[in-house]
Amino acid sequence: MITVEHLSKKFGELVVLKDITIEIKTGEVISIIGPSGTGKSTFLRCLNLLDQPSGGSICIDGVNILDAKADVPKIRQKMNMVFQSFNLFSHLSVLENLTIAPIKLRGMNRQDAEQKSLELLKLVGLAEKADSYPDELSGGQKQRVAIARCLAMDPEIILFDEPTSALDPTMVSEVLSVIRRLAKEGLTMVIVTHEMDFARDVSSRVLYMDEGLIYEEGTPQQIFEDPQKEKTRAFINRVRSFNCQISSPDYDLYAMNAEIEAFCEKQILPRKTRQNLLLLVEELLQIYTPFLQTTLLDMTLSYSEKKESLELVLESPGETVNPLDISLQPDELGLNIINSLAGSIDYQRVGNKNRLTLLMKKS
Amino acid sequence: MEMQTRKEANTTVATITGRLDAVTAPEYEKAINELIAGGEIAFVVDFEGLDYISSAGLRALLATAKKLKVKGGQIRFANVKGTVKEVFDISGFGTIFQMDDSVAAALARIL
Repeated sequence: MITVEHLSKKFGELVVLKDITIEIKTGEVISIIGPSGTGKSTFLRCLNLLDQPSGGSICIDGVNILDAKADVPKIRQKMNMVFQSFNLFSHLSVLENLTIAPIKLRGMNRQDAEQKSLELLKLVGLAEKADSYPDELSGGQKQRVAIARCLAMDPEIILFDEPTSALDPTMVSEVLSVIRRLAKEGLTMVIVTHEMDFARDVSSRVLYMDEGLIYEEGTPQQIFEDPQKEKTRAFINRVRSFNCQISSPDYDLYAMNAEIEAFCEKQILPRKTRQNLLLLVEELLQIYTPFLQTTLLDMTLSYSEKKESLELVLESPGETVNPLDISLQPDELGLNIINSLAGSIDYQRVGNKNRLTLLMKKS
Repeated sequence: MEMQTRKEANTTVATITGRLDAVTAPEYEKAINELIAGGEIAFVVDFEGLDYISSAGLRALLATAKKLKVKGGQIRFANVKGTVKEVFDISGFGTIFQMDDSVAAALARIL
């Protein structure tokens, strides 16, 4: 149905979309997830030419819509969009919001347009609001009207750009249930969303976008339960990380403690967890100190909000050695403390680096 | 870490506050060693105000205790509790050192 190849979009020097290639088939429900600012909305806006792509091609049923001769208004009729901020005409009634495009753009007669619009309003549960004006509706109702307005043009595909982001949490479900219903009816949809449970339930395919690319894609099960790539995993598990490099045995322990404390503060971790973490880090750094004469230590602290788990990864290049090897320690004090604070400890040689992964016990 | 010392009869009571970690452990060791060098051989260390201890702190405690033992002296710890006590327990220090619930109790047991 839609074939996108090597799509790119720049705003001045800022490259938002680097190289997007994807095929969307009829009947697919595709959710696009990913951190803010990674080009998800820009991708949708490029698809229906609200933003002009900088490069690549978009073919709909074999026709390249980036061709100068392409009939853009006709393309937009095939591929309608629901916006985060509804974009209803405030001076028109709900019914008029739905009928205006079919009458003006498709030449439909008023009676047919009104009849169809009332059916669509029924579909989204708002038939009794036909004569109301947008200002008289709640956010959730406005968005349902916007969806019905989209459907009034019989689009072949609907693009949803964060359709629930501007809504009060109590109104999110009414909008999502309408979208779920459309999905069941087999409408082709591309949905940019931050509603992960919804994306998991409704989609036939999930795209994780990051770095201006489709970083990973798969079925909801693949993406939500077994993501393969690091950034996808971090996003799905709502992982926040803190990274630092230590290059000298004379590192500033207190400056590092302050950064770790600030990180813990942001994640609202309990005081006991912070204390244990600071102790674990100090013990590890003590053990690494002899190595810091000759090598760098890269330390990453990651907190998964979903799993409520704290993980420490320490990587250092150099000869193969497990820094926690008992024969390297002056005594067992540090190791005893580390073993009591860490639920699991794993050593791996990765490339030319020694990697220690410690998962903190829950306190 | 801050350390304040006072004399109770023949015993030096050292009150330590803050953190006993890789940065401050050498300061503790140096201060106690100077007292030992000055002839003090009986110590009570009050941990009431200590919030944090790491293995570096434990090593400093152990090093000064060993030095005292050689000189026939003794050291008791008072008010070891909370997270500091947990670290003592993890590392088995709870059984190595003589610990008391208060400075007064520790002073009473100094021979």
